Amino acid sequence: MTSDSPGALDLGKLFAARLHAARVRPYLATALFALRPVESREVPTMGVDRYWRCYVSPAFVDRTPVEELAAVWVHEVAHLLRDHHGRGDRVARERGLSGPAERLRINIAADCEINDDVYGDGLRCPEDAATPHRLGLLPDWLMEDYLRHFRLGPWVERLAWLDCGSGADGLERPWELGPDGAHGLSEQERDAVRFRVAEGIKGAPGDAPQGWRRWAEEVFHPPQPWRQLLGSALRSAASAPGVGDDYSYGRPSRRSAGLPKVVLPSLRHTPPRVCVVVDTSGSVSDAELGSALLEVTAICRTLGGRRDLVSVLSCDAAAQTVQPLCRTEGIDLVGGGGTDLRTGFARALRTRPDVVVVLTDGQTPWPEARPACRTVVGLFARTGSAYDENDAAYSPDTPPAWARVVTIGSASR
Amino acid sequence: MGRAQGRRAARPVGSDSLLDLLRVTATEPRADTQLEALTLAVAADLPVLLWGEPGIGKTAALNQLADAVDLPLTTVIASVHEPSDFSGLPVVGDDPAVQGVPMAPPDWAVRLVRAGRGLLFLDELSTAPPAVQAALLRLVLERRIGALRLPAGVRIVAAANPRSSAADGWELSPPLANRFVHLQWTHDHDVVVRGLGGTWPRATLPRLAPERLPEAVAFARRAVCEFLVARPGLVHRLPQGENRRGGAWPSPRSWEATLRLIAFATAAGSSRDVLSLLVRGAVGDGPGLELLASLARMELPDPESLLADPAHAALPERGDLRQAALDAVVAAVRTRPERARWDAAWALLVRAMQTGAPDVVVVPATTLASLRREDWEVPAAVERLAGVVSLSRRADEAARRAARTVGSRR
Repeated sequence: MTSDSPGALDLGKLFAARLHAARVRPYLATALFALRPVESREVPTMGVDRYWRCYVSPAFVDRTPVEELAAVWVHEVAHLLRDHHGRGDRVARERGLSGPAERLRINIAADCEINDDVYGDGLRCPEDAATPHRLGLLPDWLMEDYLRHFRLGPWVERLAWLDCGSGADGLERPWELGPDGAHGLSEQERDAVRFRVAEGIKGAPGDAPQGWRRWAEEVFHPPQPWRQLLGSALRSAASAPGVGDDYSYGRPSRRSAGLPKVVLPSLRHTPPRVCVVVDTSGSVSDAELGSALLEVTAICRTLGGRRDLVSVLSCDAAAQTVQPLCRTEGIDLVGGGGTDLRTGFARALRTRPDVVVVLTDGQTPWPEARPACRTVVGLFARTGSAYDENDAAYSPDTPPAWARVVTIGSASR
Repeated sequence: MGRAQGRRAARPVGSDSLLDLLRVTATEPRADTQLEALTLAVAADLPVLLWGEPGIGKTAALNQLADAVDLPLTTVIASVHEPSDFSGLPVVGDDPAVQGVPMAPPDWAVRLVRAGRGLLFLDELSTAPPAVQAALLRLVLERRIGALRLPAGVRIVAAANPRSSAADGWELSPPLANRFVHLQWTHDHDVVVRGLGGTWPRATLPRLAPERLPEAVAFARRAVCEFLVARPGLVHRLPQGENRRGGAWPSPRSWEATLRLIAFATAAGSSRDVLSLLVRGAVGDGPGLELLASLARMELPDPESLLADPAHAALPERGDLRQAALDAVVAAVRTRPERARWDAAWALLVRAMQTGAPDVVVVPATTLASLRREDWEVPAAVERLAGVVSLSRRADEAARRAARTVGSRR
């Protein structure tokens, strides 16, 4: 101990640990330096509140080696960057979780989200950290997913290093200074720090692990559920001028009776003709096809209410026959092997549709020119970049700019 | 009450007085960021679009705003109107070939024009069909309804439900979206509970300080221009990807709106939270946050003035801002390396170490040390940075220990 009085906070050690943390995780340096340490004898170890204050127990600093303290710094700042307090509040409201026990579960789940990839590379994992491995769960999930998969039990007592403060789970602690205390960050300042960190990670993505890169991509653009996106893309494609609900002077409005001499348009409904092209090549799984197709047919029904206007076409390297959706016994999807969507497009356009919906994993050549109808692409999410191990230079074409692309299955959370 | 005499028998006895009792509520002052942002945008004469779930109190907020700015409120539900209600109803006259066909405006527009001032609230914008949205484009941008022109005293606010809750909604077309300042409207749990208990909040509305107006305009122009010089790619960028459709996006028009909003927020002395809502609402989250970050940099102390008087320098309190300021000082020394400036920078670092956390000084100190020329002697001030050196050494040791543990585990 280097401080003057016994039991006082060893700030030198704490700052040395922060410096070490900022050196081994340079992309988090801004956030680390924005944290304000506050000495507290009530907090068990270290904890943060949502105003970016970091409560530190002097005894904990004394008994913890610098490299482990650095790991705790990074851990605590990760709670704040990943907005665990806001997400904890939301998830507690949505699922009706109340009481300190549920908040402890949120804290553990949040710890798991952080701890699966935060240590190593100069940071020593604390002995009693809560990790997905200890709970018998897989890494790389989000807090909300972990929360569904474990219960509290006697094993929790072994996770002594647990109370990360209201910054981790949204529940105010008695030792915290609250919104009006000194040195808190306002909401805008918090956003600004998170934004700077995210930009830093996006600017030099090689330095940060996968989990942080995913965070940086999504922090200010949380993914929306793909079903709603697909629905609204289809709706706006199908309701554009020419089809769908719109006004027309072709027939007089019913209002005209009350307003002689005034020419009014009337609301006309022209149901759109929709052709769904399904990529049935080997790389698309049956489950993916099933779920997406169900969704599309449901949307088509709400659009027109006339199933005879919706047709389905399966396409691998060659296009199969067009099937109307009004058949009651369901749709046969035939195919396998490679894909060439150009033949699918050509075949679909022969039905003169207003909208073409393409469900594919995108590993296909696309038509050169924009087709004469609106196009919505439902793209099955694929991770990884190497598609062909025999040809390193091969990369599939991305969907063209004229299509509205919705990534399916990536953002179901 | 007397008018209802004849009908009273149809209702339970005493229902009127019970309703009267329920209507009695009090108000209390309470800071409300989103209402302040809305008021500023309306004061700046920019069309505002409130995004919020149904039933969240958007209309109630509009009523409060109308009271506060003393403008009569006209509500028009966009989704139940026809395009001709906004573009004008064609009326066939006696001789259309000679006189033309006049486009007659609807009655609410005539009343608004006659009053000369008012708050026009276009509700349910996102559920209006595309043709109605196209007609609204002209109303919102050119302020024209048929042959009428809305007077300057009329302010426009619209409301829309987010795509997630509007099951049968259309999304806003990018041109229409670009004309609005988008504000996300959320409810505050405490406010609602306390309001149902009988006490609603009363926001204190921003007042523009007359003596600050020229300064506010100069500040806003400098903020936007400096930012766009550095980031030319952000002057115009159409929204890409499904997630961001129908929202705010940067264009020369929305940057001009941003400039106006910054000037108003500055003149009103609003908090950064309010400005953040407004700027992000005008140009979108990404460009808005970048602009705010650039504003924060503008507020950092000027490195040259810090170097001129290191003994009385006021460094930012927050660690990350302090390091940014010190980095800027070291960069200034690097661009014009002179002995006196180098010494002044060391004095600044000593001051920074004495007034705040020492770990933020380490990186600037290391960089500054590397700028030394051969004939420059190490200044005496450096000895007072001994704490920083030992701190750095401690971190080095920790790094070595951590590397050893990882190595031994393998």
